[in-house]
Amino acid sequence: MQKTLRAKRASFSAIEEDHGYAARRLDYGPGALNEEPKRRYHILLMAPAILTLAAITIYPFFWLIYMSLHKVSVARSDRWVGLDNYARLFGDVKYTDGWLLLVKYSALCLTLEILIGVVLAVILNGSRFEKVLVTVFLMPMMMSPVVAGLVWYYLYNGTFGWYHWLFQSIGILGETSILADIDTAMWGLVIVDVWQWTPLITLITLAGLKRVPQDQLEANMVDGAGSLRNFFTVSLPNIYPFLLIAILLRFMDNFRFIDHILVLTGGGPGNATRILPVYLFDVSFQFFKLGRGAAIAFTLLIVTIVLGLILVRIFDDPKKQVASGEAGETTDD
Amino acid sequence: MVAISIENVWKYYGETVAVQDLNLECRDGEFVCVLGPSGCGKSSTMRMLAGLEHISAGQILFGDKRINELAPKDRDIAMVFENYALYPHKTVAENMANPLRMAGVDKATVTKKVLDAAKLLEIDHLLDRKPVELSGGQKQRVAIGRVIVRQPAVYLFDEPIAHLDAKLRARMRTELKHLQQHQGVTTVYVTHDQLEALSMADRIAVMHDGVLQQFGTPAEIYSNPVNTWVAGFVGEPTMNLILTEVATEADRPKLTHKGFTIDLDGQLGEAALRGNEKALRFGIRPENLKVSLERSPGAIEGTVYTRQLLGSDLLVEVETGNDHFRVRTSPAFEGEVDRPCYISYDLGHAHLFSAETGQSIV
Repeated sequence: MQKTLRAKRASFSAIEEDHGYAARRLDYGPGALNEEPKRRYHILLMAPAILTLAAITIYPFFWLIYMSLHKVSVARSDRWVGLDNYARLFGDVKYTDGWLLLVKYSALCLTLEILIGVVLAVILNGSRFEKVLVTVFLMPMMMSPVVAGLVWYYLYNGTFGWYHWLFQSIGILGETSILADIDTAMWGLVIVDVWQWTPLITLITLAGLKRVPQDQLEANMVDGAGSLRNFFTVSLPNIYPFLLIAILLRFMDNFRFIDHILVLTGGGPGNATRILPVYLFDVSFQFFKLGRGAAIAFTLLIVTIVLGLILVRIFDDPKKQVASGEAGETTDD
Repeated sequence: MVAISIENVWKYYGETVAVQDLNLECRDGEFVCVLGPSGCGKSSTMRMLAGLEHISAGQILFGDKRINELAPKDRDIAMVFENYALYPHKTVAENMANPLRMAGVDKATVTKKVLDAAKLLEIDHLLDRKPVELSGGQKQRVAIGRVIVRQPAVYLFDEPIAHLDAKLRARMRTELKHLQQHQGVTTVYVTHDQLEALSMADRIAVMHDGVLQQFGTPAEIYSNPVNTWVAGFVGEPTMNLILTEVATEADRPKLTHKGFTIDLDGQLGEAALRGNEKALRFGIRPENLKVSLERSPGAIEGTVYTRQLLGSDLLVEVETGNDHFRVRTSPAFEGEVDRPCYISYDLGHAHLFSAETGQSIV
């Protein structure tokens, strides 16, 4: 069976094998292999970096675990409590709600940022004013998150906030500020995050779009694709790895950056915006329950790492990239 | 399946003229090669045909239909790109199915057509692979497969086999030619390789600096080049083009050169006198010259400059009066470098070009 198949294809493969496409197997080898040069000094060269890394990341990591297993107090010495800190988290409504709010917040931010970011990038790509506009769009990113929070705090202000007045005029809001209402406060935060970080997505996507091979776009056009279809079948699969990096960065940031939340709502009104990192901040640095805070931080860290690894795994898997390309096609069909 | 007419087409990139007042007619089902060096405007022409480039002036017709304003997808064309332009995230089968899926053909038909095309190109065992797993020759066949899965009105080939190695290129020339004749689809094929053009085309359009130099069958282009540029570009080894002066001796025209004199008669003689030109280029292909170590009447005397073996033939360069003649001869020729030798020629194969304009005067 194998032989007939091979014979059938002989005409083409014969040519290619002649040209060394197929590796040839030898049934003999050299008498002895030459010794490869040894490079011992590379350990020395890497040592400073490894030591610094250990000091700033590995040591705090283990210290975090240590704290999470103790009742930590400034006045008295630490007391071993075993997994008590963790056990108590399960009964803590604020902790479980914190997770739900964090997932909601992160999902909203990511979806909006990716959608708006990609659309902006597509519009900007090849536009005459691309350079100027990119610089303008980048401005929010240059701002420190706390400053951004303060700026929006004034814009949202119920008495003199310009955006508040705008929202009110369109009829979206009543007298209360967007941040003061339990139903809208989360949106207030999402808008700030989207405002500040969509440019990052745009920038990364734009870099991806620059690398979409022109000939593939043209081939697809000749194959019969319009511009929208061209985007979904050629551009999107090509920028897919870039988008994954953007998602990875943004989701980890959402799990860490709470500067603007602390400035704008501090978790309120009520607990409407007390996403897990904010709650962690409260427990550790408002109530100084460092042990419990460390336990929360550790669970947060583990989830972040696991999610990150999953994303990286998808990123490395070429089969998933095809799946994304196909998904793009079906939405367009 | 449609005739193509390119009428007074110009292409500008800013101030630069890429194509200048181009007029071409391709008959229905014809295989036309656009031949020229890089930067001659051949790719611009192809891209205007495909709708990837705006036509600055003039118009292109497919049959009676003006296509200037049509998007590529509405032109009913299929194109093979120089770099194959395969979609890296799709398998070979998906790559080949793309034009059909764009046209909304149902799944069963798509699968069948892709399989048929793959069998024809002998790539049916590769259908599940990604382009990165393919060799250059295989990629190229997939690109062709993507083109032949449907029956478009026009095939456009943009140097499709330029990146293959010589042996595979020779094989693909045969395959493409056979395929085109089999399917009878009007084909425009852009190439810089004169051998490809000569071996495949029904007619060749030779372009240089954005201007069409000559349009004719391969035989016409090869044996009756209209100017020195076409004469020099087509044919390998290149035609000998030697600058000579025109003189008359007893009313008989002749060409004089430091190293030799050629007596002209008949048609060539009349042509040489007609234009009253002082200098002419004497053109003759290497295979129409004979070299020998023995003196014969009328032969050009020179010394052997180099010997290059071309496989079945030997290319001898003979130096005479600061100029070199290339002669294609049998490897049995015994002349060693620096030895005197004698070139005889048949004026029936000779060409005369104006030294000033480069145009053929015969």
